[in-house]
Amino acid sequence: MIESKSFEELIEQYRDIIDDVSFPTVKEWKSKHAGGKVVGMFPVYTPLELPHAMGMLPVGLFGAGGRVEIDHADSRIQSFVCSIARSTLELGLRDMTKDFDVLWFPSICDVARNLSGIWSSNFPNQQVSYIHFPQNMTSPAAITHYRTELRRLLSNLEELDGKKATGAAIVSSIQAYNQNRALCEQLYAIKRDTPWLLSTYEAYVLLRLATMTPVEEHTRILQDILPMIATRNRKPRDYVRVMIEGSFCEQPPLELIQVIEEAGCYIVDDDLLMHTRWFHGDVMTNGDPLLALAESYIHQSRYSSVRHYGNKPRKEQFVQKIRAGKVDGVIFNAPKFCEPALLDYVVLKDELEKQGIAYLAFEYEEKMGVFESIRTQVETFVESVLFFS
Amino acid sequence: MHSSNRLSTNDWWVCDEPVIPVRGTIIGDQIMLVAGVDVGSTQTKAIILNENAEIMARGIVNTGANVVKAAEKAFNEARKSAKLEEWDVAYTVGTGYGRYKVLFGDTQITEISCHARGANFLFPKTQTILDIGGQDTKGIRINEKGEVVDFCMNDKCAAGTGRFLAAAADVMGISLDELGDVALRSSSALRITNVCTVFVETEIMNHLSKGKKGEDILAGVHQSIAARSVSLIRRVGISPEITFTGGVSLNKGMVHALQEKFGFPINVSDDSQFIGALGAALFALDRASARHDGEPVSSKEEA
Repeated sequence: MIESKSFEELIEQYRDIIDDVSFPTVKEWKSKHAGGKVVGMFPVYTPLELPHAMGMLPVGLFGAGGRVEIDHADSRIQSFVCSIARSTLELGLRDMTKDFDVLWFPSICDVARNLSGIWSSNFPNQQVSYIHFPQNMTSPAAITHYRTELRRLLSNLEELDGKKATGAAIVSSIQAYNQNRALCEQLYAIKRDTPWLLSTYEAYVLLRLATMTPVEEHTRILQDILPMIATRNRKPRDYVRVMIEGSFCEQPPLELIQVIEEAGCYIVDDDLLMHTRWFHGDVMTNGDPLLALAESYIHQSRYSSVRHYGNKPRKEQFVQKIRAGKVDGVIFNAPKFCEPALLDYVVLKDELEKQGIAYLAFEYEEKMGVFESIRTQVETFVESVLFFS
Repeated sequence: MHSSNRLSTNDWWVCDEPVIPVRGTIIGDQIMLVAGVDVGSTQTKAIILNENAEIMARGIVNTGANVVKAAEKAFNEARKSAKLEEWDVAYTVGTGYGRYKVLFGDTQITEISCHARGANFLFPKTQTILDIGGQDTKGIRINEKGEVVDFCMNDKCAAGTGRFLAAAADVMGISLDELGDVALRSSSALRITNVCTVFVETEIMNHLSKGKKGEDILAGVHQSIAARSVSLIRRVGISPEITFTGGVSLNKGMVHALQEKFGFPINVSDDSQFIGALGAALFALDRASARHDGEPVSSKEEA
C-alpha cells in the first residue's frame, strides 16, 4: 500500500522491481490477462500507444544491467558492441524473454538493426519488427512515411492478435500516455527547479518503473508520489548543476548516477529513459490518431542523438538545453562502443569549448562494479567549477 | 533482494545540515600550521606548512591495508619530526584515493586538484603535469594560476603505472630503488611489446632466458611506460613546462625515458613524491586563512 510507506521506502521497493531481470511485472500482468500479449521495446523511443491500444503490455528492454553473465550472446554478436545489445540477447538466449510475444527494435544505430536480425533468426516464435523512423525531417513525405510505418506496426500486432485496433482505442491510449508523460515531466521540473527535493537516482527509479508497468498503474503511482516529493524536508546544498548527456540508450549502472550526485552534483537534466518524455506537450487527440503520432514525432520530439533535426545543427539544440537548465557543466556519460553518443560527443564538446562551458567525459558499461576513478574525476570537476570558475 | 553493492538512498542525500568541523589552533593574528595528507595506493605522504607556505615537516609511510592508520602515521611522523602537537595544526586537507579515510582532516580535495596546486607552487610555469603513482597515471593541464583546465586518467588497466615497474623489478629480482639506475646503464634498450602488467613478466623472463642483459630489458620497460604516459598525456595536450609528480618521479631511469620521449627536459623536484600532499596543504592554508579572516569557506565542505 503506497500510503503506508515513506517516499524512501517506496523508492527501495521499486528499485527491487527494476533490478529484477526476471521481469516480475510482466509475469504478474500475464497471470491477470490470459492470452495477453507483451511487446518488448528496445530503446530509445517506440510508439507505446499502439500495443496499448491493442490491449497489450509494452515493456522496455534495457539489457540485464550487469546482473547476468554474458555466456551465450558472444557466440552470436561481437564482443566489441555495447553492453545492452549483448545482454539483451543473453536474456533471450537464456530463455528469460519467453514471456515476450513481440520485439520492436527502432532504427537508432547499426547494432540495434543487426540485433533485430539476430533476434529474428534465433527466436522464430517471437514477432520481430524493425521500426524505420524518418531520417529527413524536412521532407514533406516524412509524416506520410512514418504514418505508413505506424500502420504497418499496428497491422503486425493485429495479425498476431487476430483483432483490429479501433481509432477510439488509439485515441484513448494517446490520452493515457499524454497524462503519464506530463507527470514524468513534472519529475524533471522538480529536478530542474528544486533539485535538492529529488535526486536523479530517485527520479530514475520512478521512470524506469514506467517501462515495465501498465501506464494507468504508473500514472496512479506518480499521482500519489508527487505530493510526497513536494513535502520532503530537504535543504539546498552547495552543489554544481550538471546535465548528463549520452545515456539515452544503454542505461548507466545506478551506482554511477549515485556517485555523480554524491560527488557534489545536482543532475538537473539528462537524457536517461527518453521515451517516457519523448514529446514536448501532448499528442493531438482529434482527427486521425496515427497521423497525430506521426506529426508529433516530426514536430514535437525532444532533442536526441538518435534523431535528425533537418538542417539544424544538433549543437544548437544542445546549447539551448544547457541554457534552459541553467547548468554549470555537462557530464558526457556514454556507454562504451555507443556510436551515436560518441560521435556526437566530438561535435558537442567542441561547441562547449567555444561557449566556455565546463565538461567532463567518461564511458561506462553495464558490468561496472568500481566507481572510485569516476568519483575522483567528478569531484575534481566539481572542485574546478566551485573553486575556480 | 537488495544487491550487495547498492548504495543507500539515505546515507548522504538525507543529511540536511552541513557539518563544518572546527579544530586546530589559531592564536591571535597568527595562523599556526596547516597540513596536507595524501593517501596513495602505495604510500601515504604528509606535509606540514607554516603560514608563509614554508614546508615545516614531511612524513611518509607505506599505505598497507589499514588506510586510516596510514594517514595517522604519516601525519604523526611529520608532526613529530617538527616537534609539534596535534592541536598545533589548524587545518588539514586529505587527498589521494584514501582521502575520505583521513578521519582527523577537515575536508577532502581530489589528488588531481592537489597535484595541480602543488606543481604550480614548485614550478610556476608548469602547464602540464604527469603524475605516475603506484596504481594510476594522470595527465593534468593547468593554467598559470594552478587551476585544473583538463585532466585524464588511465582506465582499468595498470599498464604504464608504478605497478608495471614493480612487476618488472619482481621478476628481475632487484629493488624498486635500483631499477632506474640499472636501466640508465643500458646502451641498447630492448623493445617491450606487452602493455599488460601480468604478461610483461613473461616477456621479461623470455628475454632473460635468451641471455639478454638486465639493463637493456629494464631500459625497454621504462621506454614502454614512457610511451604509454606520453600517449595518455596527449589527451590533455603536451605543453611545456611539464612537471613530473608521483612516486615514480623518483626513478631517474623514468625521468630519462620521458625526457627522451618528449624531446625536452621536464621538471622534477626532490619533493615530487609530496606534491599531492603539498597541494592539499596549500588548500588547507587557504581555508585556514579564510576562516581566520572570517570569510565564508565556500567549498564542498559545506555541501
